[in-house]
Amino acid sequence: MVHFLAFSLRRAAEGLWRHPVTSIAAVLTMVLMLLMVAGLLIVLSGLQAGLRFVEEKVEVQATLNEGVSRELVGALEADLRALPQVASVTYVSKEQAREDFRAFLRSQGKEDLSEYTGTNPYPANLSIRLRDPDAFGQVAETLRRPRGVVREIYERQQLAESISTIADVIRTVGFVVVAVVGLIVLLIVINTIRMAVMARAQEIEIMRLVGASDAFIRWPFIFEGLLVGLLGALITLALLALGSQPIGQLTFLIASRVPVGFNQQLAQQVVAIVLASGLGLGGLGAYISVRTYLTR
Amino acid sequence: MSLSVDRASEGATDRSGAALPRLRGARGRAGRDGALTIRRPSVALQDVSKVYPNGRHALVDVDLIIPEGDFVFLVGPSGAGKSTLIKLLVRDELPTTGLVFVAGHDLSRLKRGKVPHLRREIGIVFQDFRLLASRTVRENVAFALEVIGAPRRQIGPAVERALAIVGLTEQAGQRPSQLSGGEQQRTGIARAIVHQPRILIADEPTGNLDPLTSWEIIQLLLRINEMGTTVLMATHNAEVVTALRKRVVALEDGRVVRDEVGGYHREY
Repeated sequence: MVHFLAFSLRRAAEGLWRHPVTSIAAVLTMVLMLLMVAGLLIVLSGLQAGLRFVEEKVEVQATLNEGVSRELVGALEADLRALPQVASVTYVSKEQAREDFRAFLRSQGKEDLSEYTGTNPYPANLSIRLRDPDAFGQVAETLRRPRGVVREIYERQQLAESISTIADVIRTVGFVVVAVVGLIVLLIVINTIRMAVMARAQEIEIMRLVGASDAFIRWPFIFEGLLVGLLGALITLALLALGSQPIGQLTFLIASRVPVGFNQQLAQQVVAIVLASGLGLGGLGAYISVRTYLTR
Repeated sequence: MSLSVDRASEGATDRSGAALPRLRGARGRAGRDGALTIRRPSVALQDVSKVYPNGRHALVDVDLIIPEGDFVFLVGPSGAGKSTLIKLLVRDELPTTGLVFVAGHDLSRLKRGKVPHLRREIGIVFQDFRLLASRTVRENVAFALEVIGAPRRQIGPAVERALAIVGLTEQAGQRPSQLSGGEQQRTGIARAIVHQPRILIADEPTGNLDPLTSWEIIQLLLRINEMGTTVLMATHNAEVVTALRKRVVALEDGRVVRDEVGGYHREY
């Protein structure tokens, strides 16, 4: 087994060196595809996190004017609860609102500057969960009925829907693009290994006639495909490592209120998927090539 | 149908071939009383025909027994079936009908996975040497052992031994392009015997060589035969065949037309 592995790996490495141009072309196309896979993964996971963040929040939020009596608010709450489409109504006081926002800022590693002003700029609000998102109009109407109570009404549902639509489009387009590039990479690997097989036709013939088993003839080429995949994956991961900080800053700029980043879990996923795709495509391409050209 | 039986094998087989399995197990030499006992055949073909998909009959009803330790010339014009016969022996092809036994294996029943094991009992020498240009003589010879997974500690001594037999110890570090034709063929022979096969098949080994060098190669093959290896040599070289007075099997249009010791060799 040790001889077999050593022999196969040595010949696989020889094969890569012997045809540097085809090998480099195969590795670079592999890198291109893996970068696309990683990019897709990062963007989708960012959108997913944004979506979760939005969906976790209430669907309708109404900020209240300063100094509105608790009784008025209580009456409004009762009116809202009376609506069949409303699942729940929660009153958030000014203090609670400030506390919530500070907690959010702390999670982002930032400081709440309102501490220095000595006042509390955060308005009290009502958070309303809906059973039926289409009931927004009716809820808004109810909220606006008592004069001077509600300052502004925010609907999160629309935002969630648009993020979800964007995520769906990116996912579909991304998968199609990755599938097409993946197919191209597969064909390039098949071709690279095919050339390696053809270049070694005489060696293969000699190997067969002196009694080399199929494994000794085939596996060096499969290892060669795996090496192309491994090299591609390692170069991709190196590029991603170099680019992770600027990418992280960029996503923070785009969605500064959404906790998206190149966190450890995502990084582990990217490493696993890039390595698996690289090795998988390299090995599969080589296997197909060897099956096609070395069957006797 | 003609039955080609070596002197030593006479009486051991019948036309039905029923004795073949027994032949495989039997082993012996001429006894003290002079009674002929048989040697185990290295190669036995019974009623072998080969028809290629294009309809060409490459071999027709061939019977042939080569006892272990023999030296046999295989002669015939181009297209007579020599190459097909060799392909059958190394199980590169299967016969359309008939039985082929090589080194104790029934090739029709040999599982695909066992073919490499059969080939490890055979050494092959090619007319065009088929050496790997990027490797030295030593590496070319070692290659035959590396690819069958031989342990490294066994490869070194086996290669040196094979190089010593063919007389190439001095040139071990050179590449094929630095060698003469004769030396290249001797490298090919070293590669063919490095794993100590029971049978050596030489397909026109002197075809690309001048007469003097050809004689050197023949002498080398005879030496290997004297060391106990069965040798089957396909050749066009009439001079060699006539001079050596070894067994000659002649093929024509896929049939064995002569099988004689020291056989007259027609110019093909």
